[in-house]
Amino acid sequence: MSEQTNHDAKQESMKNKPTISHRTFLQGFLGTLASVFKDKGVLLMLIIAPIIYGFFYPWPYRSEVVTEVPVGIVDNDRSELSQTIARYSNASPNLSVRHYTTQEDAMDAIYRDDIAGYLMIPKNLERDVYTSKPTYVSILGNNSYFLLNKQVQLGFTQAVGTVSAGVEVKRSVAQGAYLPTAKVSTQAVPLRIDPLFNPSEGYGAYVVPAVAILILQQTLMMGTALLIGTWHENKRQHASVFGWLGRILALSSVTFLVACFYYGWVFSFQNYPRGHNMLGTLLFMAVFAPVVSTLGCLFGMWFKERERSMQILIFSSLPMFFVSGYPWPISQLPEPLHYVRWLFPSTSGMNASVLLNQIGAPLSYVSDYLLHLTVLGLITFALLMWVQRRQLKREISSLWHS
Amino acid sequence: MPQSKSDSSKFMFANKQHNKASLLTVFLRSARYEGKFLLHNSWDYLMLLWLPLLTIFGTWWIFSKPYIVDLPIGVIDESRSGYSRTLTRYLDASPDLKVHKLYLNTDESNDALLNQEIYGVVLIPHDFADEINQAKPSPVILKVNAQYGSHSGIVQRGVQSVVGTLSAGVEIKRTVKQGSYPEQAKISYSPIGIERINLFNMGASYQQFLASTVIPALLHILAMIIGATTIGRELRDRTFASWYQNMAYTDMPYPDFKTLKQIPPEQKLAHVQSALSNHWQPSNRFAFLENQHYGYVPYAHSALTIQPNSYQAFNAQLTPDLNTPILPEKVSAATLIAGLNGKLIWATLIYTLWGALSVMLATSAHATDWLPILLVFIAFIALTMISFWLGAIFSLSSYSLRMGLSSTAFISAPSFAFAGVTYPLVAMSEGAQRWANALPLTHYLKVHISQLQMLAPSSIALPTLKGLMVAVIATLLITVLLSLRAFKNPHKWGAR
Repeated sequence: MSEQTNHDAKQESMKNKPTISHRTFLQGFLGTLASVFKDKGVLLMLIIAPIIYGFFYPWPYRSEVVTEVPVGIVDNDRSELSQTIARYSNASPNLSVRHYTTQEDAMDAIYRDDIAGYLMIPKNLERDVYTSKPTYVSILGNNSYFLLNKQVQLGFTQAVGTVSAGVEVKRSVAQGAYLPTAKVSTQAVPLRIDPLFNPSEGYGAYVVPAVAILILQQTLMMGTALLIGTWHENKRQHASVFGWLGRILALSSVTFLVACFYYGWVFSFQNYPRGHNMLGTLLFMAVFAPVVSTLGCLFGMWFKERERSMQILIFSSLPMFFVSGYPWPISQLPEPLHYVRWLFPSTSGMNASVLLNQIGAPLSYVSDYLLHLTVLGLITFALLMWVQRRQLKREISSLWHS
Repeated sequence: MPQSKSDSSKFMFANKQHNKASLLTVFLRSARYEGKFLLHNSWDYLMLLWLPLLTIFGTWWIFSKPYIVDLPIGVIDESRSGYSRTLTRYLDASPDLKVHKLYLNTDESNDALLNQEIYGVVLIPHDFADEINQAKPSPVILKVNAQYGSHSGIVQRGVQSVVGTLSAGVEIKRTVKQGSYPEQAKISYSPIGIERINLFNMGASYQQFLASTVIPALLHILAMIIGATTIGRELRDRTFASWYQNMAYTDMPYPDFKTLKQIPPEQKLAHVQSALSNHWQPSNRFAFLENQHYGYVPYAHSALTIQPNSYQAFNAQLTPDLNTPILPEKVSAATLIAGLNGKLIWATLIYTLWGALSVMLATSAHATDWLPILLVFIAFIALTMISFWLGAIFSLSSYSLRMGLSSTAFISAPSFAFAGVTYPLVAMSEGAQRWANALPLTHYLKVHISQLQMLAPSSIALPTLKGLMVAVIATLLITVLLSLRAFKNPHKWGAR
């Protein structure tokens, strides 16, 4: 409050000039830092929200891999062989088996989301197999849920494959083959899959490190725009070039520290792959945060109101995520979006951060991303200066007319 | 009814002879009030028209190539044999994959992996052909960038099926060489055949899987924001009571939103109240008013607000009286129900249109009966209404538009992650599942997916649909109760 009256007095003394509230770099830096901690709204957005999200967002993915997916088996054969298949299926870590007597029952269970798929074992399976007649079982997975269907298909395929290989070995041995030879020849070209960088192939380990950058971007952008918008309402928005730089540094420093909390604590608490190129990561954040904060300043000057940035920007995180090239391949995007996506810092931010921190790439591999961020930052800053100039001009001319 | 000065928040109308409106009129007047506001506030209008439109078509467009094809991979062929060349050709022919380049060693391929030129590399060992010829298992190694989870899944699927095909071919050939007939060889290679069927979304279309579910998730976020701002705005400007009286009294003039738009939030109330003619002013305010000269410009906050001979400059002085909300003598729940619905009627109508559009897009992939479409459409409208009221509840419970929006962001922005579409509900912890089930989006998407994608019987969706309807009424009632509470605490209005 006293700050306000102080400010009012100051303003009165320069009644005929639009106020430049931060003239030097230090004024901008310290004044902004003080406001961040004095303004509940900015504090919540800039510091508290990302910290809460650090716990909240990884929450659904705690289990990391989908196991024990409920599935059904419709066994029309009821033979020893079909029961072996059911036993092997239930033993699979991917599946948890329930039995249904008819396909209709199983389908109904799928509709109710009780099971994610089922295995249909035809009548006479055992007889056909042992008389060497062609026969097959059917795996029906609910592909409305990709991840569930993947586990259903994988679990049943492995279980049935194991039983089938057993039959094949038995048959070869019966035909006079030596047992170990029969065993190895069941698969001529086995595939060994070596998952790099995310060895457990955890879902959270895949999604959260990238989304964390999006969370930092959105909270910093909205928090900054909220502060500048508030200043705009109070006619304190204008600053010199160095004043703005001070403001931007102050705001991005706060987010830089919150980012350290993510890189240093959240990722290790969740046990994600992390910290492979820590120096590179920090350097990246030192570029990323100021760019985002500059964008926030521009939005604040444009929106001119405290709450407006949240109203307009909250919805934007999901679309930005999908055009970044991280969850959805770039080659799948329509041509114009290949360009549009570079309007968002998150496009470079998510890829660069994951490459450095999770994958451990040397800096040279992200230099293009850093260059993009730098150019984006410079353009945004130039726009910010232009918007301020225009607003100042308008204020002066309205003064003139009055 | 004279009021004591200390009881400053309890201003009421002196003259109670004003025309009280019927509930229908309340609804219409509230709608008109909001309509006039929207005409002059383009940002709020944007939330109704352009942003949802951009969201719907933008999301659909992002996934307009709905099947992931030709993901670039590399091959390191140390074998350089007929078999390895066949494998490479098969890999390139797979719809999932495209062999970007043949690499000489892992250093080269790692470089390409880190440059994101390729998402996996298939390593064919030097003894690959020899081992096959000697009837030994001859493994192939796939190194895949598992940090890019969705890319990795497709690459693995593609390589697995190609290597499986090659392996089967080798085995059948081998059995034929041993003297079996080709047909018999096929059977003995795999005694129990496997038929894999992807139900409902056969080709794994991401437009059906993601775009059609992300669109309602985004509209849900936008609708919650609209609910939070439409009600929260009146609290921030402390015009909550003005809005109420405006709809409750048919002879009260609507505020001049065009001028109001130029006025800072904390001065809006004074402007609204000073614009009312004398007989609307509370009795204990008359004396004060008669001593004022409207044309006088005593003080200006800055160059921007100076507008001589207008009320604003006068209001800038923020006289305590004009700046205190005039409260309605009696607030009725029925009036609130009609008024709240009227206030959000434009948003409801236009989001009904967006609902129709998004359901139409979702069904464009495969034809559906009219009944499931209708059910999903009703569920969407229910989701939208719940979203409006939830947003309003967050603003009303904190008395602050900013907090209302913060809570809205916190709840709605990650709600898609909890909804169980990309990461299944069964894999979540019990606590996370409980949270997911508390979110309206989770239930809406269940109806959406079961009816539009799985083409499940309508009876499956009915209980969820009923639940959504109950939630609409429950959230509306909570909004009304919180509005009543707000009228009891006018001193808390205006929080930023």
